[in-house]
This record gives sequence, C-alpha cells and structure tokens, in this order.
Amino acid sequence: MSIIQQHTAATLGDAWRTVNIDILNEDSSVNFDTTTLHPPQPEISEADVRNLSTQVRQLLRGGDAEGALRGCLETPVYNGVDAAKEAHLQTLIEVLQSIKASDMTPLLKGIYAAPGGSELLDVLMKYIYKGMAVGAPATAGLKSPAKMTPQSTGFSQVGSRPGVANESASAAMSVLLSWHEKLVEVAGLGCIGRTMTDWRRV
Amino acid sequence: MAAPEVHHLFHNPIADHSFSADHSTLAVARDSSVELYSKAGNAFKLADVLKGHDKTVTSVDIAPNSGRIVSCSQDRNALVWEPSPTGYKPTLVLLRISRAATFVRWSPSETKFAVGSGDRVIAVCYFEEENDWWVSKHLKKPIRSTITSVAWHPNSVLLAAGSTDAHARVLSAFVKGVDERPEPCVWGERLPFNTICGEYLNNSAGWVHSVAFSPSGNALAFAAHDSSVTVVYPSGPEQPPKAVLSIPTQLLPFKSLLWKAEDEIIAAGYDCEAFRFQGGEGGWQLVGTMESKGHAGAGEQREESALNMFRQMDLKGKVKDNTQLKTVHQNTISNIRPYEVSGGKVTKFSSSGVDGRVVIWNA
Amino acid sequence: MEVRTPSSRCPTLPPKEARSCDIEPRVSRPRNEVPDRGSNHHLDKPPQQQQLEQQSCLLLLLVLAIHLPNMPPLREATAQRSAFSQSLRPYLQCVRSSLIAALTLSNFASQTTERHNVPEIEAQTSPEVLLTPLTIARNENERVLIEPSINSVRISIKIKQADEIENLLVHKFTRFLEMRAESFFILRRKPIPGYDISFLITNFHTEEMLKHKLVDFIIEFQEEVDKEISEMKLFLNARARFVAESFLTPFD
Repeated sequence: MSIIQQHTAATLGDAWRTVNIDILNEDSSVNFDTTTLHPPQPEISEADVRNLSTQVRQLLRGGDAEGALRGCLETPVYNGVDAAKEAHLQTLIEVLQSIKASDMTPLLKGIYAAPGGSELLDVLMKYIYKGMAVGAPATAGLKSPAKMTPQSTGFSQVGSRPGVANESASAAMSVLLSWHEKLVEVAGLGCIGRTMTDWRRV
Repeated sequence: MAAPEVHHLFHNPIADHSFSADHSTLAVARDSSVELYSKAGNAFKLADVLKGHDKTVTSVDIAPNSGRIVSCSQDRNALVWEPSPTGYKPTLVLLRISRAATFVRWSPSETKFAVGSGDRVIAVCYFEEENDWWVSKHLKKPIRSTITSVAWHPNSVLLAAGSTDAHARVLSAFVKGVDERPEPCVWGERLPFNTICGEYLNNSAGWVHSVAFSPSGNALAFAAHDSSVTVVYPSGPEQPPKAVLSIPTQLLPFKSLLWKAEDEIIAAGYDCEAFRFQGGEGGWQLVGTMESKGHAGAGEQREESALNMFRQMDLKGKVKDNTQLKTVHQNTISNIRPYEVSGGKVTKFSSSGVDGRVVIWNA
Repeated sequence: MEVRTPSSRCPTLPPKEARSCDIEPRVSRPRNEVPDRGSNHHLDKPPQQQQLEQQSCLLLLLVLAIHLPNMPPLREATAQRSAFSQSLRPYLQCVRSSLIAALTLSNFASQTTERHNVPEIEAQTSPEVLLTPLTIARNENERVLIEPSINSVRISIKIKQADEIENLLVHKFTRFLEMRAESFFILRRKPIPGYDISFLITNFHTEEMLKHKLVDFIIEFQEEVDKEISEMKLFLNARARFVAESFLTPFD
C-alpha cells in the first residue's frame, strides 16, 4: 500500500524538492540573527535627512567643504527608509563633487588625524561603494543582463548609446573612483575591510 | 636585532604549530596529519608523522610539562597523543560535536583542554579516571557561530573564545573534581561552569580571529576581521568594563595575536608580517612592524625597461611586477605563539603561515 | 619556491579563423570621423538605418556596406588607447585595492553539513560569514561585483558593451572561456545574473597561488578582454566589409 494515500497537486508536482528545509529549523545556521552583529541604531527619518542636507548645502555655499563633509559623515543613515538613505547619498555625492581633486588628500588627512576620524572615513568608504552600486542590479535580483537600447541591428554606432544618456552618472562614478583612490592612500586597506565586515549598512 | 630564524618546512599551509617546552620538537598541522620535526643542528628534520585524522587538521598543541599532544580536525574529532617509548599513542576524545573541530589549547594546568567547533559549542575536555577516557562538557549558551580560537586564563578556569558571530567572550570552564576553586578575580567571584563573564562586540563587527589574556589575566585582547585589535579591561564582576579600547588599523586583518607583556601586544595576519602595539588602560596604538625591511625577503628588483614600467603603471596602476613578497613570510601568517619567556616577558615568539614556514622572531 | 600563477594560463583567444580575416578593405574611409571607443559616441544616424531593421543576413551585410565609411580604423583605435586607459586606471586601481582587501580568506568548514568544506559565498547557508558585497563601477555598463565571504570570494565582471555586436562578441567570448573553466582554476562556469563573467576564488586558491598574482590576473583579464572585444569587432567589420563588397560587385 502506498504511503501517500491521496495525490494532490502538491505531492505530484516537484516544487517540494526545492523547499529549503533548513529555514524551517530554528537552530539552523541559515537562521542566524544578523541583528546581533551590530549595536542598535537610532532611526533617522527622511525629514532629518532633508534638514541635514540643507545645512550641508549652506556650509558648502559658505566654502566650508570640510564642515560639509564632516556633517554628512557624522550622521550616516544606518537605520531608515530607503528614500532617506538615498537622499543622504545624494547629498554626500554633491559634497564630494564640489571638492577639487587637489583638496582631497589634505582634507582626508585632516579628518583622519582628528579623534574619531578613522570611523568617519569608514563611513565615507561605505558611501563611495554605495554610490558606485547605484544602477547595478541587486545581487539576488534577476534584471535583464544588458540594458540595451532597442535598436535591432547593432551595427549602428549612432543614436542613443547607453553611455551618452548617463554622462552625468559616469562623471559621478569617476569622482567616486578618485575619492576611493585618495581614501585608500589615507585610511589604508583596513578601511575597505571594515566596509565589508560592518553590518551597519548605509 | 638578530635576524629571524626561518624554517621552510614544505609548500603546504601550516594550520597551526607548537613547540615542546625544550624547543627540541616542533609539531605542525599539515593537511590531515600532524608532523613532528626534531631539531638537528640549526634545522628541523621530519621525525614522525601522526596519522589519525581523515580531514584537515586545524589545530595542534603540545602540553609543556606532560609532553602530550592534542590535535583536532575538520573530521569532528580530537586526538590526544600520549608519548611512549615506541612512539605516540592516540586516544580519541569523546567530543560529542557534529561539525568541524576548529581550535584546541591545553589549559595551563594541563588537566583540561578546550576544543572550539563549528557546532557552536566549545568542548571542555578532561580525563575521567574510572572510564580511562577523555570526556567533555559543552560550553554552549551564547555562542551563535563557529569558534575560531580559544585562550586560557592563567587560572585554568576562565576561557576566552572568539567566534565568527563577531563576539569575543569570556566564559567559565570550571569542572568540578578537576579544578581547584579559583580565587575571585576581576572577571568574577563565583564561577560555575558556563558563567558568562564578558561578551564584547566591535562596532564594525568582523569575525574574531584570535583572543588572548594578558600575562596577569586581567585584560583581554582580540583581533577581528575589521583589521582591528581590541583590548578589554574589566572593572569587576557583573560590572561594565573599565575600558574597551579598539584600535582600527590601516592594515589587512590580523589572524593571531599574543601579549608580549602587560603593555605590549604583537599581532600578525594577512599582511604576512608581525606588528607591535603598545599602550595601557589609557590607550593603545600601533607602533610598527617587527621586520626590518632592509634585509628581509629576497626583494630582488628585476630589471625592467622604462617603457614597460610606465606601461604597467598606466594600465594596471601598479609599480612593479615581482613574485616575491618583501616580508619573511610569503603568505598569510596563521598563528603566532610565545617561544621563549623570561621574567614574565615574551622574548622570542614563533610564527607559522600558509607558506609552510615556521619563523622564530626576537620579540 | 614552486608557485603556480594563473597569469601563465592567460585566457587563450578564440579560434584563429574567427578573427584572422586580415584582408585590407579597399573602401576609402574618412579619417576625421573617428568615434571614441569609450562611452561618448556621436555620429549621425543615417536614415537608411530605419528601413534596414530586419534580421536577414543579406540585409545585415547591406547595412554593413553602407556603414563602412564610419567604422573606426584600427590605427586610430590604438592611438586612442592612452586617453582610454587614463580613465581606466582609477577604476582598475579601485578593483585592485578592493580585491586585496577581500582576498583575506581562511579555511572554514561548513556549519550546516558535517565533514564538508564548501565555498560559503556559493552555499549561502550562514549569513554571518558573508560580508557586504562591494560594487565598483566605471559607468553603468562597466562594473565589478565583489562578494566576499570567510572562505571564498566571488568576482563578477560586466564587460563594456557599446552595441549589440559587442554584446554578441562578449557573450561568445565569455562562453568560450566558461566552457573551458577547468583550465582557469578560478573561473566560474556561469556568470552571476547581470554580469558577463564570474570568478570564484576560495581559500585553497589563495593557499597555493600567490595572492597578488591572483589580483593581477583579474586586473589583466579585465584589461585584455576590452582590448580583445574591440579587436574582434574590428576584424568582424573588416570581414563583413569584404564580404559585402564582393557580394555587391555584380550589381555594380
């Protein structure tokens, strides 16, 4: 006699083969509680971020680039809605873009030498990587692999090439890349390592 | 400063190494066996191979007084190798763990040893006379991930453990009938088995690779994957610690650390060289590398055409192209241990690495 | 010291016949209109383009024939390399330092399956041993994803593809390499969705190979693959030009 008395769609299908049974076991390592890996963080709302960005812009207009940068880095949005995180990133990128290449290294050195400066630069590194990740597909997500403009022959070298439409985006990338280079010179590879290990993600 | 003594044993990674008390025997964990090297003149010659594990041996420790060797492996087992006139006799330890054993150390009293595991437990093992068998008790409670390293307090009761859940913990491994009741200390007064005396987490987290008690046992240092070394000064039982000093560095993470004295720590890891930290309760700082760069390594610069050099710099953003590192170790240092101690200070220490070298340094 | 470096086994090129059509095209090409092979490309779209959208091989060749004057000549293309690599350098430097920081691996046995030792980044069974993934982007078409974990790092590269020919060439080229993945040691047989090619480096690789050579290999690969793709594109164009020309001769 068959153990399975009734055949249902669930038993006949093979969807059950792909069920990850580890998730159902509370003790399984899959269910590791990653919130234990960082201290609790205060929640930052979108309004706070907007306030801060106004202040930062004022500082920028006043010519105090270091103050503006510090202002951004001292209040990273670890715990907040995506819009708040996004807005803070935009503010920071604006600050970074407004600083001249020749001022980068002295500025970073100044921040690094100050007490708690290493922590601030770690935050900066996190935002640099976040800034570069904008536009990349989510790690797990399945987006269409190539964002091709719908031109079917491809032999055309004309028209809207993907790069052209996003001139500003790639300019932002190259600013971030040069900041990254300067930052590694000042804060070392340890800084990249901390960006990876830190569970307080921006 | 005298040059470090380099012993290049083979081309495989050394997971762990241990010297006997008289420095005549060196045990190294290589693949799934433990190799014993004995000193012949200035070199170490392979004397014996202890075969008993069937997966990678992760850790090995020689008890300084009894000469017993304990080894553990990813095959979930630990073996105690008893010296006898006809060679070493293995005894299996009843670990009762179902994942890899990752780290083992004898307690200073040599009556117990602790085995860290991927099963989220630490097995504290002791010898049970009536059964003629090494049995274990499990430290389980707050551990949430693989144990990467353990270290004993000088009183043989307290145990520090680092784990991939980014926490360093101090636990009591008091076994009734084996241990004397310990004197009260800064970590706690009454210490029944599995008392949690401290649990520490860095802000930037990172797996804890190595833990160590200071020589007095009144401070704890740990190295984590966030390239930092953290020193904890407890203030007393059940109270928040006096100071938790975290030193973030610009370097790659450290895999192993040791206390040279109360005011000096030596750490080594992915940078393939050892670094010195100095300080006290007021603060710690990185002082510098232990290697004098001048003679170290065979840093022969290959003659290259200027064109090629500029092309390398332009295209790949690198300055030179050589296969040899400037450091003595040519790959990650996985372990450093005190080699010679005099007057409460470590005067020499030994390091072993993925490159198959064991190096003895002047601290 | 006997060290195996992956750089000695650099990616071999696809079969010779696929790219060895070095017949000098006889159509005259204007020299002034050399498009940058980088991101910004401005040429007028000919009106014929719109009518020739069908996929038939014949028509493709016709399109080619019409576009021949606009194809970038090889010599100019190489002359532009220095400007091109100027913006490439910070990008590769960033990939390099991120890789060095990520390649800090140790031997780590599985926490879920006993007596097993698996790359945690592939298994994804223990969240605490996976680190924050890093993305390095030069522009939105060229980026590298580094996914680190305690005993393995997965590196995925999105190769620059300016148009559909390059898209096709990149696909064929990476597929060619992936089918021979075993001779590259660190090459993954399938790329991560959204990327063209992926590498998986485990602690066993960093143990037996030099870490900085592994990093060099990835950097070199990135650099070579761009060059390779644009070269293949040029060869393809030259070949198509020749075919189209001989095809159209009878109609003269």
